[in-house]
Amino acid sequence: MDYRSAFQISASGMTVEKLRVDVTAVNLANVHSTKGADGKLFRPMRVVSHESVGFAATMRHMGFSAALPGAAVASVESVDAPPRMVQDPGNPQADEKGFVAYPGINQVNEMVTLMTAVRAYEANVIAMNVAKTLAVKALEIGGNS
Amino acid sequence: MPYNIESATLGAVSLALDAASLRHQAISSNIANAGTPGYRPVAVSFEEHLGALRAALSSRGTVDASLLAASSARVEREPEKAGGTEEASRVAVDEQVAQLSQNAVHYQALLRALNKQYSILSIAINEGKR
Amino acid sequence: MSIEAVGYLAPLAATPGVDAAAVAGTGVAGNATAPSGPGFGELLARGLDQVNRDLVSSQTDVQSLALGDAQNLHHVMMRLEEAKLAFQLAVQVRSRLLEAYQEIMRMQV
Repeated sequence: MDYRSAFQISASGMTVEKLRVDVTAVNLANVHSTKGADGKLFRPMRVVSHESVGFAATMRHMGFSAALPGAAVASVESVDAPPRMVQDPGNPQADEKGFVAYPGINQVNEMVTLMTAVRAYEANVIAMNVAKTLAVKALEIGGNS
Repeated sequence: MPYNIESATLGAVSLALDAASLRHQAISSNIANAGTPGYRPVAVSFEEHLGALRAALSSRGTVDASLLAASSARVEREPEKAGGTEEASRVAVDEQVAQLSQNAVHYQALLRALNKQYSILSIAINEGKR
Repeated sequence: MSIEAVGYLAPLAATPGVDAAAVAGTGVAGNATAPSGPGFGELLARGLDQVNRDLVSSQTDVQSLALGDAQNLHHVMMRLEEAKLAFQLAVQVRSRLLEAYQEIMRMQV
């Protein structure tokens, strides 16, 4: 059993899902922030994941006939969502028409993303535990005379 | 790969173990990429290509060691769906986890059978003394 | 006394398999009269044949498990374990027979 590559694949999946959870938490924390770090309106972020191509090439080199897809890698990018305008003339941050701009974060979508990310993380943990069990059992070949 | 003692059985079990470990890696790739948009799941095909070996097994009671060298497990990706959207990946995580468990049991069953084969041989070699 | 013992052995020896070899192995040391059932050599040969057949069929079972055909995992495992135990028993019978033979050869005439 090539336990190293199995662990790497599952570990990368866990990293991606954890990143997704972190980004979702940041978005939810900033639902009511009007200004981001750069002084402009806070823009919600999103995790984009894709397969890593280099890993597939390595697997082919090791002699597998077809390219086994490898680990997942992810990057964080900003989403261009239209801001949510709230009528609030008394607010010091209101513009000339009396609207305050809040980031266009859809809380329902974010919660759903959070829940699916947690389930996917658990599935990756299961896969890694199974890989460990199989490798340990393979080590016991020939053990009991 | 040639085994000197009991090449038919040990060769067949070794081949099946190779296929099972490749299958585990394919399934964990599918699970790791479950959230990747446009990802096409992979599967390992092995049992379908063993027609000649199965025929030898049922007719003669043992597989042919030379045929074993020609068989190997293959990784296959799901074909691109024509006109499909690239939005969500097509991995059903629950089904993948069930396949993972089944594959794990199969792997452990093969390992147990392998251990018993080796212990039978060692009884013969050690004349019953441990 | 010994004739009765051998007479009692005969119906037991009619059942094929490992039991015959075991019974014959333990009850026969120093027996001089011919038994009424099948000869001792034949009993032993039958027992060994059965053990061999068990081992070969368990090989076939393992191969079918490897090729993905096994319907009953528990049958495969049980038959494998039984074949292993039968083989161990046959080896033990052989060791005891050898010991008995050596014991007799050591007796001063």
